[in-house]
Amino acid sequence: MSVLAANPVPGQPAPTGDAGIAVRLRGVTKTYGKGPTAVQAVRGVDLDLPANQLALLVGPSGCGKTTLISIITGVLDATEGTAEVFGNEWTRMSPGRRAKVRATLVGFVFQQFNLLPTLPAVENVAVPLLIQRTGRREALKRARQALDGVGLGNRAGAMPSQLSGGQQQRVAIARALVARPRVLVCDEPTASLDGNTGRQVMDLIKAASRGSESEPRLVIVVTHDARVFHYADMIYRMEDGRITSMAPPDEIDHAKAQHEDTRRRPT
Amino acid sequence: MNRIALSMLFGDRAKFVTLVVGLSFAVLLIAQQGAIFLGLVLRSTGALQNTVQPDLWVADPNIAWVSEIRPLSERDLLRVRSVAGVAWAQPYFSARALVELPDGTYKTAQIIGLDRSTLVGQPPMMVEGSLDALRAPDAVVIEESSRDKLANVNIGDTLRLNDQRAVVVGFCRAKTGFDSNALIYTTIDNALEFVPVGREAISFYLVKVQPGVDRDAVARAIEDRTGLGAFTLEQLRGRSVNFVLTETGIGINFGITVFLGFLVGLAIVGSVLYQFTLENLPRFAVLKAMGTSNLTLIRMVLLQSLIVGVIGYGIGVGGAAVFSLMGRKPGAELAVYFPWQLMVVSLGAMLFCVMLGSFLSLKRVIALEPAVVFK
Repeated sequence: MSVLAANPVPGQPAPTGDAGIAVRLRGVTKTYGKGPTAVQAVRGVDLDLPANQLALLVGPSGCGKTTLISIITGVLDATEGTAEVFGNEWTRMSPGRRAKVRATLVGFVFQQFNLLPTLPAVENVAVPLLIQRTGRREALKRARQALDGVGLGNRAGAMPSQLSGGQQQRVAIARALVARPRVLVCDEPTASLDGNTGRQVMDLIKAASRGSESEPRLVIVVTHDARVFHYADMIYRMEDGRITSMAPPDEIDHAKAQHEDTRRRPT
Repeated sequence: MNRIALSMLFGDRAKFVTLVVGLSFAVLLIAQQGAIFLGLVLRSTGALQNTVQPDLWVADPNIAWVSEIRPLSERDLLRVRSVAGVAWAQPYFSARALVELPDGTYKTAQIIGLDRSTLVGQPPMMVEGSLDALRAPDAVVIEESSRDKLANVNIGDTLRLNDQRAVVVGFCRAKTGFDSNALIYTTIDNALEFVPVGREAISFYLVKVQPGVDRDAVARAIEDRTGLGAFTLEQLRGRSVNFVLTETGIGINFGITVFLGFLVGLAIVGSVLYQFTLENLPRFAVLKAMGTSNLTLIRMVLLQSLIVGVIGYGIGVGGAAVFSLMGRKPGAELAVYFPWQLMVVSLGAMLFCVMLGSFLSLKRVIALEPAVVFK
């Protein structure tokens, strides 16, 4: 079975009764600081993200994309509103419960890969399984399969420092998918890669977005990179803490979008 | 997750070595300063270090320190011997004298006088010459580390002790006192020639209790019969140590040094552990974002701290032990005593330092927002 597919995971929450909705945000607001210096990073976002799609979250730097995916993945509390992922509302959970649910529900891919530099690739990939208390032997077996899935089966023993940027990102994707999460969040996954390597990485992410009806999956990619817009099923645009538009990629003027994002980036 | 914690610890060798060196140094500082402190305190027990044959030491009941003696009357010896349960009782003399050297300079020496017939209270070990030769008139046996202080005398040489002739008949090995004066053994008869005293000349009566007889009961009987104090070795040692700690500046001065050593160690351990965790915060944040609970992260940090602590402790205590061996060399002026209890105390101090250092680190790890992984 391919690691890219979303498969049933024992103990993982079942899909909600509200068929097809993976992420539901209602009135989500996030304010950093207090008083006159307070900054509102996300302003009353209402959003439903359907499962089995690759959603791109785009917008200029500082528009609140990172804050929003932090709230979606339960690593950050909203100041107001609710965030629900496959029926699991983060705000109702204790920190311990939230960590447990996050371990089974969410996979992460970061711009800087964030591999543990002292572990070989296969052990890096096994980390999410070890967090879920899977036996070491079983975890390593599944980690090797995951590495095979991203075409790095022959580099299982390599340390991160011995891998190229593209290879490290593929290891990170294998790590994010090894526990078969229902939500995969990728933060600028191609930003540190050249065009060709970026395409390979996006191919893997696109493949991972194909869940099944019984075990649906949502992939959210935060990016500035207009070269990857065509991979999306839906592109959500954020500005000043709000979702300002949503459209399929063929309805987006890529050149204009990237120009605007670049222009709005703080210097 | 333990393996991940260990790989984080061992994976970066430079950081790991810094941690271990820091901890080793801290433990070395604590153990070594403690050993010197104990060594000095032990030296304060003077003659008690070398005389193990008797069960009881009879002295003035108010004796505070083994080197501060009110002389006893010879009549008391007969009274002590008459107490039921006493196997034998022998006099023991201790006083100071000036040794005049050939170049005209002089040194203070501790004169130990023994009963001529039994030589009870004799030095633990002879290294040159014979103890029997001590019975000759004017004969003295010199503790070997004192040889340097006494112009490298040899057997057959003569010294002037308080202007009296003394003949060197041998060299022994014994522990010197707190003041590191030259240690000279002789018979009581000779000692009284070197150090003229009044009618009450004896420093202690050394008592052996008959086999099977209760030592404490004999001690009480001696006290009742003579009005003197009858002390076990431990009791007399305790009084001497207490005197040095409370009546001299050693307790407070060296206590402060040891405490400072502990504080420095604490600061080193705390800062290196804290720094290590701080540098690994991004990794902990990733693990936290991926669903690692705070409890698991706490276990990982504690495991790392404990491993570093144990290795640092081993090296530090090993270094302190090597240091203490230097103090055991004959003639070493270094006062070092390194009992197993000090190892336990050092272990406790190390664990305290590690726990405190970990506590600071854990505060950061627990408060860590996993959202920083996206920054």
